[in-house]
Amino acid sequence: MNSDIERRQRFELVADQVYEPLQRYLRRRANREDAADALSEALLTVWRRLEDVPSDFPLPWCYGVAKRCLANQRRGARRHLRLVERITTEASTSPSHEIDDPVLEAALSELSDSDQELLRLWAWEQLEPREIALVLETTPNAVSLRLARAKAKLESRLTRQDSSTPGQKRDGHNEEHRP
Amino acid sequence: MTDELRNRLSRLDPMSSDVPTEPVTTESSQQLLEEIMTTPNVEQPGSSGTPNKRPWIAAVAAAAVVIVAVGAVGLLSGDGDPIAATPPLELNAGGEDVMASCIAFGVEYLAPMPVAFEGTVVSVEGDAVTLDVDHWFKGGDASQVVLNAPQGMEALIGGFPFEEGTQYLITASEGNVNYCGFSGVSTPEMRAAFEEAFAS
Repeated sequence: MNSDIERRQRFELVADQVYEPLQRYLRRRANREDAADALSEALLTVWRRLEDVPSDFPLPWCYGVAKRCLANQRRGARRHLRLVERITTEASTSPSHEIDDPVLEAALSELSDSDQELLRLWAWEQLEPREIALVLETTPNAVSLRLARAKAKLESRLTRQDSSTPGQKRDGHNEEHRP
Repeated sequence: MTDELRNRLSRLDPMSSDVPTEPVTTESSQQLLEEIMTTPNVEQPGSSGTPNKRPWIAAVAAAAVVIVAVGAVGLLSGDGDPIAATPPLELNAGGEDVMASCIAFGVEYLAPMPVAFEGTVVSVEGDAVTLDVDHWFKGGDASQVVLNAPQGMEALIGGFPFEEGTQYLITASEGNVNYCGFSGVSTPEMRAAFEEAFAS
């Protein structure tokens, strides 16, 4: 009985820390409904595997759980929505912000999915390599290397785009609207 | 340089900290947590464990599904032409869902499906789901279709729940309901894909 109460308290403590960040994580990667489903699934997993949750900083571990919930959702049960999901995800990951950096957005989208995800975990979730490693279930070393490479790729695309102005206006007109 | 890149990237974040999320303290959040904590702590094999409202989201196991058309007219021949006036026609399933390998969804894959209709579930009973056909895209003109699951409801569901009163878009080939994006709850996007695929 006592341990039941302790378990509940521990879960509530973890939930306090991860509840909102998990919503952000999921909404960055899925539409509202799927994110809500994945949230309850992820929290249920956290509850069931409470003993495995790192006590010092549970968030990366929980991101990893949420990531698998999303993957399962996509792979399995809700596969029928694949088309719909693609449409709504595209629609719903971007509506809340105006794209004010189309150059970066374009450069990012040219990278592989895994590079993009690394960069997102780094810049959006603000995780460090050892934390990203927990999400992706790999080693901090591997993450550092891959992250460095992904950044380099992104930066080289950005320099390329900056030096060749978007579009084909190489006839002097573009001098008028400098950033 | 790297911090600058990080900052620049973070400005693309659609869920930056100024976008509100639901606090853990709200009533519905607390309700969810409570529900989770009262969920029996037993791992169910194959279950993804959503605590509520998704009774049949289950294994993705390929389903042996039989479609039985009821009503006045039979269902289809292999090439999709309706067969007139055959009594309830049973189209057997060979066991494996032909789409089990889940190729990417695309209108061009949808188009060859011999059976496609939109229907509303009128009953879910035992191992049978009955749909009133709202619209035949291809392959039949029966007024009702029964989806049968000899291997049980979970096999029939194959990943998505059938609920009474909900409208679904269904495709089938060789008597098997196709999952993987080829059947599902009817949505405007999916219907548009069906209309495009089966436009004659």
